[in-house]
Amino acid sequence: MLGLAKRKTAVTTGASLPVLLGLAAATIFLVVGSISSNIFAQQTVAGLSQGAIFGSLALALVLIYRATEVINFAQGELAMATTYIAYQLTLWGLSYWLSFFLTLVIAFVLGAVLQIVFIRPIQHSVIAVVIVTVGMFILIDGLVTWKWGADLKFMQAPFGNAVYHAGSVAFPRQDIGVLVVSILSVILLWVLFQFTKLGLAMRAAALRPAAAALVGVRVNWMLAIGWGLAALLGAVAGLMTEPTTFLQPTMMQAYLLYAFAAAVLGGLESPAGAVIGGLALGVFLNLIGQYVGLATSELRLPIAFAVLLIVLLIKPTGLFGRRQVRRV
Amino acid sequence: MKYAVIAIAAVAVALLPFGLSGYHQGLAVYVAIYFIAILGLNILTGYTGQISIGHGAFMAIGGYVTVIMSHDHHTNLIATLPVSFAITFACGVLVGIPALRLSGVYLALATFALAVSVPQLPLKFSKFLGGSNGLQTDHAVSHIWLYGVSWSCAAILFLVGWLLLRGRIGRAFRAIRDSEVAAASSGVALPIYKTFAFGVSAAFAGVAGSLFVLATNGFAQPNEFAVLLSLKILIGAAVAGLGSLWGVAVGALFIGLLPEFSASVPIIGSSHGEDVVFGLIVILVMLLLPNGFAGLLARLESSFKTAIKSDPQAS
Amino acid sequence: MGRKGKIFAAVAGAALVAGIAVTAAFGAHHATPGITATEIKIGGTFPLTGAASLYKTIPAAEKAYFDYVNDHGGVNGRKINFEILDDGYDPSRTVPAATQLVEKDGVFAVFGSLGTAPTLATWGYLNSHKVPQVLVATGDSYWGFSRKKYPWTIGWQPDYPGEAKVYGRYIAAKIPNAKIGVLFQNDAYGKNYYAGLRVGLGEAKAKIVDAESYDATNPSVQQQIIALRSKGADTLVVFATPVPTITALATAKAVGWTPTTTFINNVSANRLFMLSAASKGANVDGVISTTYTASSTTQKDLPGVKLAQALVNQYAPSLQTSFAAGDGNIIYGFGVAWTFVYALQHSGKNPTRASLMAALHNLNTSKNPFVYPGIKLQTSAKDNFPIEQEIMIKWAGGGTGDWQPVGKLLNGIR
Repeated sequence: MLGLAKRKTAVTTGASLPVLLGLAAATIFLVVGSISSNIFAQQTVAGLSQGAIFGSLALALVLIYRATEVINFAQGELAMATTYIAYQLTLWGLSYWLSFFLTLVIAFVLGAVLQIVFIRPIQHSVIAVVIVTVGMFILIDGLVTWKWGADLKFMQAPFGNAVYHAGSVAFPRQDIGVLVVSILSVILLWVLFQFTKLGLAMRAAALRPAAAALVGVRVNWMLAIGWGLAALLGAVAGLMTEPTTFLQPTMMQAYLLYAFAAAVLGGLESPAGAVIGGLALGVFLNLIGQYVGLATSELRLPIAFAVLLIVLLIKPTGLFGRRQVRRV
Repeated sequence: MKYAVIAIAAVAVALLPFGLSGYHQGLAVYVAIYFIAILGLNILTGYTGQISIGHGAFMAIGGYVTVIMSHDHHTNLIATLPVSFAITFACGVLVGIPALRLSGVYLALATFALAVSVPQLPLKFSKFLGGSNGLQTDHAVSHIWLYGVSWSCAAILFLVGWLLLRGRIGRAFRAIRDSEVAAASSGVALPIYKTFAFGVSAAFAGVAGSLFVLATNGFAQPNEFAVLLSLKILIGAAVAGLGSLWGVAVGALFIGLLPEFSASVPIIGSSHGEDVVFGLIVILVMLLLPNGFAGLLARLESSFKTAIKSDPQAS
Repeated sequence: MGRKGKIFAAVAGAALVAGIAVTAAFGAHHATPGITATEIKIGGTFPLTGAASLYKTIPAAEKAYFDYVNDHGGVNGRKINFEILDDGYDPSRTVPAATQLVEKDGVFAVFGSLGTAPTLATWGYLNSHKVPQVLVATGDSYWGFSRKKYPWTIGWQPDYPGEAKVYGRYIAAKIPNAKIGVLFQNDAYGKNYYAGLRVGLGEAKAKIVDAESYDATNPSVQQQIIALRSKGADTLVVFATPVPTITALATAKAVGWTPTTTFINNVSANRLFMLSAASKGANVDGVISTTYTASSTTQKDLPGVKLAQALVNQYAPSLQTSFAAGDGNIIYGFGVAWTFVYALQHSGKNPTRASLMAALHNLNTSKNPFVYPGIKLQTSAKDNFPIEQEIMIKWAGGGTGDWQPVGKLLNGIR
């Protein structure tokens, strides 16, 4: 009845030469700029570290979208909630890294359970899913505030406070750590999807559910696993964000917004695109803030969304997305 | 039968404020505001199938129009309402034009971007738009005045919506929702109808926004138009049942009154109980009543009719 | 619409108009609401949820103080019943909450409401209904200057521009060659602070080399800190809420910048936040701020601090950890609640709303045990700011240190 049925699509793998050339040009621009100006270099580095956080949350968004064609508005809150779980584990005496990995497992299970209980019954309807994820957003926020309170809490920094220097440009170890973790996540995901049976099954379940079911893929389980993985990535994002925002129920809300822009920029179906989109957005916002006087802080969020809107209008599948041809 | 129900409801609404304290009159005003906003969103999403999570932005625009006209030019408050309608209609059309290129999830994201960005603008242009200290109308209004005006607007706009949707325009909308290609090939000019729907939908939200600001003691400030507002309107529309006007009142009651009741939830306590209960109920409603209240009504109606038909005594 | 429908609609419309006329003709006349022989009912709106909810320890502390007073006989035999409502810092929720307090719950006064925008959204309504809106928890100065137009509204804490003037005067006098860089929140809160700084600096305001604003939705202020450093600032002034303040301090260190002197505003100078900044590697020693409340960590021997500890232990055990770590909001809450009780005690045997305001407009006491020793609460016909004194504090002791007072109590900071 809600006539938003899925349209039949054919997918072409767009290996997009213009995009790659553009990225190469941008990279050269950044390198040249960094060499000629210390401030440019420092803002670029800072932008990359911010962008890595955008990218890690965007990765979770992209994964859910790719696996289940759903935009999960509760992704940020889920990431925040799993970060609180990690915090609770450290309060109970576990070491940081033990809590970290245990939380990833818990997040995976939580994500899968949420998909099975709340999403599976209504997954045919785009609107219903949007609303249920919005309801989850509100519910999770309320639960976390009820259990842990809304005052600021602090966790131990995962990578310490050391700062490396190249010339007068500073590279905090924490930021390098976040970047490495994000890139590692992308690589692991790529390996999963390209080289494992499970990854293949998940891709099949997302692209051609009917056909996949015919060859024995348990489509519903693949969707649940997709959510579980996305929740896991969200937990990673939350834990990487905590050193910057500290632990409070609203910690991921601003990042969620930027993550949406990054995900769209990179392409809602491309994990690599999510991270590259995030990095690009982070650097872009910092450089614009430094060099364009008109772009004051009130406009940071609108600018990010202007980027999102422009991408949606010109190339909705983003930098790395594959072109979709709509069959009638 | 339906007209009798409307008439009874109209009389009830008219007489209600005399049995209520000022505080409850205020609550009823919010129900009217959500009624109008949900009506508008329903026209867009329920009837032409274009998802918008950005109607809070249109409410903000309408609200600020009213405040600025009152604050700077001392315009009569009721006179600001048609202006708000017109300006947000134009904004809706402006948004609707690029929206033609987007659909489904992409449109949702784009309107979400709108919902987040528009409230930032008063901070940037704080000289004209009041910044974080907000802007105030030149005088305040009483609860009963607001009740009368808001429910009158709700009635008028309901009528407008009803007239719009029962005629050729409504048929075109429904055709677009069910299959854009089929509609186009039978001669429906898609761009015109789709942007018109956006305009009308935004205009309704604009009036709701003006009333919203008036209900906030005439004070407009960015925090009032946070993303949650857009989400609540969407939830209200879904609970009401997209594609039908009859559930809108239930949707508005749900959004307007649920925080009241969930605040007194046992165990979880006051303010956090609100969020938890609201979130849970939203999810449960969508799981159990995917077509919203209107869908429930339709099911009840059809089973009522079947019961009559199958009753050998009734003929 | 059928004919029947039209008739019904017309009847409904007529009923509506008639009803409005009738209701308008009624006026409600009550004796002072909210006060009986045994009880005084008050209420306030606070951000218990949302981005500003770290301030919810304030109403919790206030309630604890009122419970203590109630256990000791209340005020002239009346117990204080304090209702705490959540508005999430959203004026569109503050208004219904205030309406509820006044028209449904019939409170005697609206007490301690937090936030500038929420207060601005309701002061017209409360003043037109002649309901006291007292001791609001915000440092904007509008409440102090508006006694003629809004006589029922009054603040408590020293105002932000006044505080910023203190920093300005200090820099002008003690750091003649400063190159000043300012980081401020891009709303009225931050802008008013910045304006106050410029007034305090006087001619020295020419020494401001750069001012960067940040938006509350900015999770990080890295870009702004780098920009400030790039313009050559060596004196950093931060007018920000707690999270961006901590981030600013930590980021400065992370990008290898050590300003000669750093000033942060009082709101963000909780010991908890400084410790957190230190744990992130920030240089905290030498950071300067101001305070007007007693310190629960460095002034444990003060009678007020001892009382505060006892109050927390007995009436608000959930606040114990924060109190021990130095959360200044708790003592702030006690200080405000004490002031209200003091005013009630000076409102006559049978307080009315007018007598409460009269008491608050004629304060003259140094007896508040929770404010910094020596601070006097004082108001008069010409002065609507209860507290106008502060003392400068400087951090010492690194990651396990605390604030130490610098110099003497400053008077008339405005």
